Amino acid sequence: MILASLISYPRAIVLGLLQGVSELFPVSSLGHTVILPGLLGWNIHQNAPYFLSFLVATHFATAIVLFLFFRRDWVRILEGIGRSLRDRGIDPADADAKLGWLLVVGTIPAGILGLLLQDTLRKAFASPRTAAAFLIANGALLYGAELLRRRAPQAADDDDTRIARQVSWRDATIIGTAQSLALIPGFSRSGASMGGSLLVGLSHKDAARFAFLLATPLIGAAALLKLPQLFGHDGDGVRGQALVASLCSAATAYLAVRFLMRFFETQTLVPFAVYCALAGLGATIYFAVS
Amino acid sequence: MLRRMRNDRLLVAIAVVVGVVLIVIAAIYWAEPAQSLPSFFPGHESGSSHHHVKHGIAAFLVGLACFAFAWFRTGPKRPSPT
Repeated sequence: MILASLISYPRAIVLGLLQGVSELFPVSSLGHTVILPGLLGWNIHQNAPYFLSFLVATHFATAIVLFLFFRRDWVRILEGIGRSLRDRGIDPADADAKLGWLLVVGTIPAGILGLLLQDTLRKAFASPRTAAAFLIANGALLYGAELLRRRAPQAADDDDTRIARQVSWRDATIIGTAQSLALIPGFSRSGASMGGSLLVGLSHKDAARFAFLLATPLIGAAALLKLPQLFGHDGDGVRGQALVASLCSAATAYLAVRFLMRFFETQTLVPFAVYCALAGLGATIYFAVS
Repeated sequence: MLRRMRNDRLLVAIAVVVGVVLIVIAAIYWAEPAQSLPSFFPGHESGSSHHHVKHGIAAFLVGLACFAFAWFRTGPKRPSPT
């Protein structure tokens, strides 16, 4: 209870706002959640159960916002999966069914690695200094993806059809596995999956769309799995703060996904790569001298 | 052609068997504490009463994926897109 009181309501608001933005921007939400309290001198125990329970609530809010933002797409995708199960095959002309199964195939490796390694990696790398170093690496990863991206012809008009045609089963597995990098604070889930999608020939807009669709079940399932902790002993003293932070997180997540879907119609990952490199470098220097 | 059909059937049989095994493993993870798990299972730990729920979920999901693979593999053959 004494530890829990360290998350005051103003801090909860800041962390919630930060989580909503940084979860969807390719800049590592976990990294920022670890680095920012370190920079501001907040005495928050990153691996303490109360803090993890608090974070789960903000992740859950982000997942709900993502699902609602793409709700029409999810209805079509789920109908497509249903059609393919009924017909015992994926009709080559059924882009919704193909996209749905691509998301399933991409979710499996990330889900399994997350289930098995999440706690171990978080404990191993949850120091602000390590997260700052990995943030620099995330910048290099984003920039590398831009340099190596494959420009494939984009013939189909419909977003989902383009993704379904361009991404193979193998590609979806690789992109899904790449998402697991986000288990390490400093690496971004959306950045890794967008980078992977660019490498297989998707445009920035389609890569962002695929990354957000791929992230929704993972973030939601991970949060749902841990949400009971918030209502148990681990959540004592942080439930109110978690609720406030979740509302803040939901608001900024909605603005972030709206902004990013427009941003990537014309822009690239380079600004985020530069930001990650500079922010990681700045934080590393700060932690070294302080 | 005949060889391909045999390979298909073999793959489906393997997928179903692996799927069943994984679902049984998932049930063991959910039912048994870490100390009672067979020693070759990841997560086995003497004296621990912790249940590895996440390991069980992972095994269950991969088991379902095996069944989905078998389901599609035994469906009607479709002409490849032109």
